[in-house]
Amino acid sequence: MTATTGTAVRQRPPRATGAVPLTQARLLRIELRRNAMPLILPLIAALFWFDSYRPSTATPPLYVVRTFWNMGQGHTIVDFGPFVAGVAAWMGSRDSRRGMGDLVTATARPRWAAQLATWAATAIWAVAAYLVFVGVMFAVYAHQSVQGQPPWWWVAVGATAVTAFSAAGFAVGACWPSRFAAPVAAFGGFLAMMLSSQTGFTSTSGWALILPTNSNGNFQPDSGMLYPWLPDLPIARIMLLGGLAVAALGLLGLLPGAGGPRLRQAAAVVTLAGVVAAGTAVAFARTARLGPHGIAIPALHDAANDRPISYTPVCGHAAGLPVCLNPAYRSYLPGVTAALAPVAGEVAGLPGAPVRAMQIGAVYDPGEGGAGQAMTMSGDPPVLRMPLGALGLAGAFGWTGGQVADQYRLLFVHAFTGAGNGPGTAAQRAVQAALLQDTGVPIATQPKVLSSVGLPSWARVTGGPQPGPEPATGPVYAAARRFAALPRATQHGWLTAHLGALRSGHISLGQLP
Amino acid sequence: MNVELTELTRKFGRVRAVAGVNLEAGPGVFGLLGPNGAGKTSLLRMMATALPPTSGTMRLLGRDPGAYGPRREIRRRLGYLPQTLGYYPGFTVAEFVEYFALLKDMPPRQVPRAVAAAIEQVGLGDRARAKLRTLSGGMLRRAGIAQAIVNEPELLLLDEPTAGLDPEQRVAFRALLRDFGQRATVIVSTHLVEDVGAACAEVALMDGGRIVFHGTPAELIARGEGSGAAGDAPLERGYSAALAAARSVAAA
Amino acid sequence: MTAAGIHSTPRGTAPAEVAYPPAVAGLRLAWLHAVSRRVPAALGLLAALGVLLWVSLRYHWNVAGGPAAQMFIPLTIETGAAAVIAVAAYGPFGEPERATGRWLPYLRLAAAVALTAAAFGALAAGATGGNLPGGSVALLRNVAGITGLGLLGAVVLGGMLAWAGPMAYLLVTEVALQGNPTTPWVWPARPPHDLGAALCAAGVFAAGALLITLRGPRESERD
Repeated sequence: MTATTGTAVRQRPPRATGAVPLTQARLLRIELRRNAMPLILPLIAALFWFDSYRPSTATPPLYVVRTFWNMGQGHTIVDFGPFVAGVAAWMGSRDSRRGMGDLVTATARPRWAAQLATWAATAIWAVAAYLVFVGVMFAVYAHQSVQGQPPWWWVAVGATAVTAFSAAGFAVGACWPSRFAAPVAAFGGFLAMMLSSQTGFTSTSGWALILPTNSNGNFQPDSGMLYPWLPDLPIARIMLLGGLAVAALGLLGLLPGAGGPRLRQAAAVVTLAGVVAAGTAVAFARTARLGPHGIAIPALHDAANDRPISYTPVCGHAAGLPVCLNPAYRSYLPGVTAALAPVAGEVAGLPGAPVRAMQIGAVYDPGEGGAGQAMTMSGDPPVLRMPLGALGLAGAFGWTGGQVADQYRLLFVHAFTGAGNGPGTAAQRAVQAALLQDTGVPIATQPKVLSSVGLPSWARVTGGPQPGPEPATGPVYAAARRFAALPRATQHGWLTAHLGALRSGHISLGQLP
Repeated sequence: MNVELTELTRKFGRVRAVAGVNLEAGPGVFGLLGPNGAGKTSLLRMMATALPPTSGTMRLLGRDPGAYGPRREIRRRLGYLPQTLGYYPGFTVAEFVEYFALLKDMPPRQVPRAVAAAIEQVGLGDRARAKLRTLSGGMLRRAGIAQAIVNEPELLLLDEPTAGLDPEQRVAFRALLRDFGQRATVIVSTHLVEDVGAACAEVALMDGGRIVFHGTPAELIARGEGSGAAGDAPLERGYSAALAAARSVAAA
Repeated sequence: MTAAGIHSTPRGTAPAEVAYPPAVAGLRLAWLHAVSRRVPAALGLLAALGVLLWVSLRYHWNVAGGPAAQMFIPLTIETGAAAVIAVAAYGPFGEPERATGRWLPYLRLAAAVALTAAAFGALAAGATGGNLPGGSVALLRNVAGITGLGLLGAVVLGGMLAWAGPMAYLLVTEVALQGNPTTPWVWPARPPHDLGAALCAAGVFAAGALLITLRGPRESERD
């Protein structure tokens, strides 16, 4: 075939170089408008309400408690992740499903670039929805006067997890454009979440902490109120999840037809960077330890986060005893003062009676596992120190108001008798039981109070699998009943004379009146 | 020459879909005829750089598509409409064409005007905002043509472009081809001999993976005169005669 | 282009074959239908899920949360099997297939039932020798019921998105398991011989199978 006469000389088509970001932006704009992710968002919204928001409404209005289920145990991630992975797999397989392979291949832009635009749109929809849903939930919490600081780091972890699910799902769909890619990606993602929540469930250290739904030790009871949320573990998880996302996307650039040699080299570097980031995160997690205020990772730890948050306490009175709490516990002040009032009235005027009760931060002891923490009395004049974050709260995890009141009275009396972090001597236990009866906790019900989950381990039988002291029989309780039967003036007189010896453990059971 | 093929071969397993094709083409409209399974689509796919050849050499727009860099340059100047047009049903016509304009590395600032022009050229101007899923088969085909021409390609490969078009649209399309042929190499694979007669300056007939005739439409018509070959039109008779001759040679 | 004048037989044409006997034709039809639905790949996936169940029942998970947590990994695998069956309902042909004779509904039903049976078989084999919560009775109930949900999802959402129904049900079950649900509609949470739960699961499976038989999966241009 010959050239026809009069043919105009074709000018070279101008290159799009220098305008690559604009081209990608315009591709992204088209993909955003036509992405399939919005199709699944109504279903995710319903599940988010059912699984993440609704169960949280029965918990106390403290962010650390409200968000323990949905953020701490990763339920927001579980609500999003599998569906995002499935739809992303569907989007990743789009070109093959729609018979667009040849058309897209025969264009100048590297296939990887086109795929990244498709993925980015998918991820943007998913992450934006996640942030909106969580934002709405937090706005509702704010309206409900939930106290404390929201766990913003954990929101970031969730957003990164959603991104990782979208990347992994997209890669599955792009590499395997089968009708089964979406369910495999979705259920594979869900199974991974289930496995992650069951691996190292009781571990407070080690690599298992990096897993997105491992909840052990994440949400320390004073986080966002007395102490800042420690960012160490969230940062490590963001590194892991971000690294996995980057590696999955980099893998796409290594597939045949993704682009030229330089692009494939870049993709290899990207993949390697993602793997290194993820591996580094796991290495960090191996050094993680549950500290007093949360999981600390030495390489990521900022000592400034160990400093308590300064605040102006809210105060009330319990039978004349000033009681001061962190303002986040404002709504609990009446309940706390009501619980402490009988004991405060009972010990008023006795040597060593506290002049003030104040809330202190809970210091988590890994050896205690999930157990609570004792109240203590110290200082001159004595101050009752209450680690409320380590104790029961009405409405939290099945605790009723009555159970919480009994618990607070028990711990107050226990601290007063000087039993400290152990069950105390027989005489101390007897006086404790008697005083408790006088303050409204009958001896007959005390064993049940003493076996409540969430009390310090001293309340439990040594070596037994279940918490619980001896039944309300035996010599200790017999002595307690005798002591409780004494007139109040006699009790107080004896206590005034012998409280120091009782606290130092020098009173035997037989020496009790 | 924009297209230079030398002993180009493509095998699928043991089947030789394209069996040693030699072809040169410069600016103009070049028709590719042949029965089903002749290898036209495979040849077009190779020229579209969507399918690598098994053997032989290929130079497109003065470049060897075997290397990534030149292949990318070819693709920037290429327009391709496959036989089976895949599409994203949720895209509008404009988005579909724009999508491919961007993928072809067109300068983004030129894209809106180029998209509008391409859509107008195929007569879908009033359907630019319609979703592809709402279009008829013929309109979809025209949308496919629009994405192929949006970047003013120097090499335009069209596989069955008029499938589904009504006669009026086919007439318009042939005029479009002739216009493009003045400044680009247009290769049209079709079953419709009247398309070839109306628009093509040269035509090749493929059968069994080989080119069995290469010449002008007038020369193809001449093959059929007096041959007694079947056909309702001169070109059809020429087509039949050339095919029969090729097959009898092959059988001999 | 016409066929006249082309005297030689086009290359590649198969010689005329002997007609099938009816029984063979029926088997051939069933096989082709199964292939069009990617049933062989689905069977492979179900077998892989059986292996996965076998592994998961033998690994010593550091599980907390009592029986509810113990059952959740196997339940996820069972639900995944149901999702595979639901997605396999998708047919690629669309209207030309629906405009054929009377066999299509029977083929759909046979595919759904056969795949459900295959899923049960694969998972039961995977549970052999392991301690599957609820045993094979609960396994059959769970797989059948959730498959029914998936088939209903295929009718409503289309084959490609049908997995979303079982996934959503799994999440709802996970939340319900935190409490002590008494409703039979959360049948995985009920004891294996709970009649109400069995009836609910059976009913959902029957409804899904019936609808997929009569209507087939929704065909969306998104597919």
